[in-house]
Amino acid sequence: MAITILAPAPAANPYPASEYSDEDSEDGGADLERDIDMRPSKRAKRSAKDIVTPGETVTDDPQWMRGHGTYIAPASTEIVATVAGTIQKTNKLLSVRPLRARYTPEIGDLVVGRIVEVQSKRWRVDVGAPVLAGLPLSAINLPGGILRKRTETDELQIRTFFSEGDLLVAEVQSLHQDGTAGLHTRSLKYGKLRNGVFMSVTGTGGGGGVIRARRQVWTMDTEHGGGKVDVILGVNGYIWISKHIEVTTAETAITRMEESVSATVYSSQNDEIAPETRREISRIRGVITLLVQKGLRVDEEMVMRGYSTAIEVDDREPGESNEYLGGDRGKSVLNLLGGR
Amino acid sequence: MPLDTSTYSLALLRLDGRRWNELRRLTAQISTQASADGSSFLSMGNTKVICTVTGPSEVKAAPGASGRGDEAVVSVEISVAGFSGVERKRRGKGDKRIYEMQTTIATAFQATLFTHLYPRSTITISLHILSLDGSLLATCLNASTLALIDAGVPMRDYICATTAGSTSSYSSNDEKADPLLDLNGSEELELPFLTVATCGTEDEVSVLVMETRVQVGRLEGMLAVGVDGCKQVRDILDVVVRARGKRILEGSQL
Repeated sequence: MAITILAPAPAANPYPASEYSDEDSEDGGADLERDIDMRPSKRAKRSAKDIVTPGETVTDDPQWMRGHGTYIAPASTEIVATVAGTIQKTNKLLSVRPLRARYTPEIGDLVVGRIVEVQSKRWRVDVGAPVLAGLPLSAINLPGGILRKRTETDELQIRTFFSEGDLLVAEVQSLHQDGTAGLHTRSLKYGKLRNGVFMSVTGTGGGGGVIRARRQVWTMDTEHGGGKVDVILGVNGYIWISKHIEVTTAETAITRMEESVSATVYSSQNDEIAPETRREISRIRGVITLLVQKGLRVDEEMVMRGYSTAIEVDDREPGESNEYLGGDRGKSVLNLLGGR
Repeated sequence: MPLDTSTYSLALLRLDGRRWNELRRLTAQISTQASADGSSFLSMGNTKVICTVTGPSEVKAAPGASGRGDEAVVSVEISVAGFSGVERKRRGKGDKRIYEMQTTIATAFQATLFTHLYPRSTITISLHILSLDGSLLATCLNASTLALIDAGVPMRDYICATTAGSTSSYSSNDEKADPLLDLNGSEELELPFLTVATCGTEDEVSVLVMETRVQVGRLEGMLAVGVDGCKQVRDILDVVVRARGKRILEGSQL
């Protein structure tokens, strides 16, 4: 009998079936148009079919305009994807949202950043974008009155406001041609950060992470004697969780409010933080880590729900309160979260 | 010749039992490291590479570095683990072969990525070679492509690479020499081979490196086999990216 040699077959099929049937096209996906003004009723059904990969032709119909994540090869009308992601259609504009990407600043974004460089009239701030953002001296609240003109003295003592390594919350005020963002902190909501903990998750790129939402900053009441805690979700994926400090505005007149606040606004000294508060801050941090690991969106609603579930799980277990949210505890929190 | 090419002519099977046009097993994962902007792990046979991409981000340019301000600079760092080869060997930073590979990979991606979208920034590709068994440059290029896709850096198309060799050496006047696809370490030691990378499905060659000598008549066959192998690699990488995308979309709903 003649010997036949068969082509070797891999032990297990390492490339599972590549056909993406639309078995899951019954109302499937999370919404495609997360951050643009589409009403929920217009949510497109999203299935795996909508994923395009670099080099894939999205359409050859010349009526579409190409947006981000696409390009048109010279001498053709085909719109070709340049990133792996989902197709997004805004009127006649066709763009591809990457599954994951670095943060790209947009005007009005609330961001948390870290000072990396101090120059004579401005700071360079790391906001997780491809290039550092700039914060001019003229775009911050100078102590002693909101509408004071900046002077040379201010320039000389620029490091007393922010120095290298300081964290701040700011808003994107302008965008330059090369994608550099200009920030400002000209509001009492913005400024230097203290009394808390910093964490970095994926920003607005797709997948999980912080999304542009109605409220990025809120104060929440915590259990187990933790008191009030502020949470700042920067759109760039940088998050700040800190003890809430009551602003005493009772005695100062409304016109002098700015003055009294700005006296402490550039302080780098932390206040006394009770161990209970520290524990709850750490619990919130655990919840956010859990959400990101699972690829879920991080916004006020999810954090609040996650936190109350974490408290529930913690209370069910005997013994001392424990804010650790890894392993089985994390799983049970996620299960409870999914069950609702 | 230690590699017994005579058995090849008998059964038309190579040392590891493959036919002339078969790839080794290629497996890949993306998003392997959470902290990086993009990362991948790719193995072609026993050659295994981890790739991480940082950026595009603004990095203080090294003094004397010539970066043009209007587009991103791609920089590549390759580190070879001491345990990657058969015998333990320390390779210093100044290894010329590693340096050449870094330049080759950087040039290839500089031309394929849309670097003009990220002026004044740097895209750093770090490659860690864990295990070494031939087709190193090709594996590095494939791993970089996946990591860059994971990082969401816009590119014209996948860069996919393979090696192609020929069954007889330069001197032997063998008329029936077969081209071989995807050489392993022992084949690379004694057979002439080239590394070819294509960009996209249109047979557009973006990298072609050959360090050995081969009779010019065999070159065309080797190149054709290599380009065909790149297409196979592209299909595999595409499946990996799509599977990852599908998982992300499924995961983002509770």
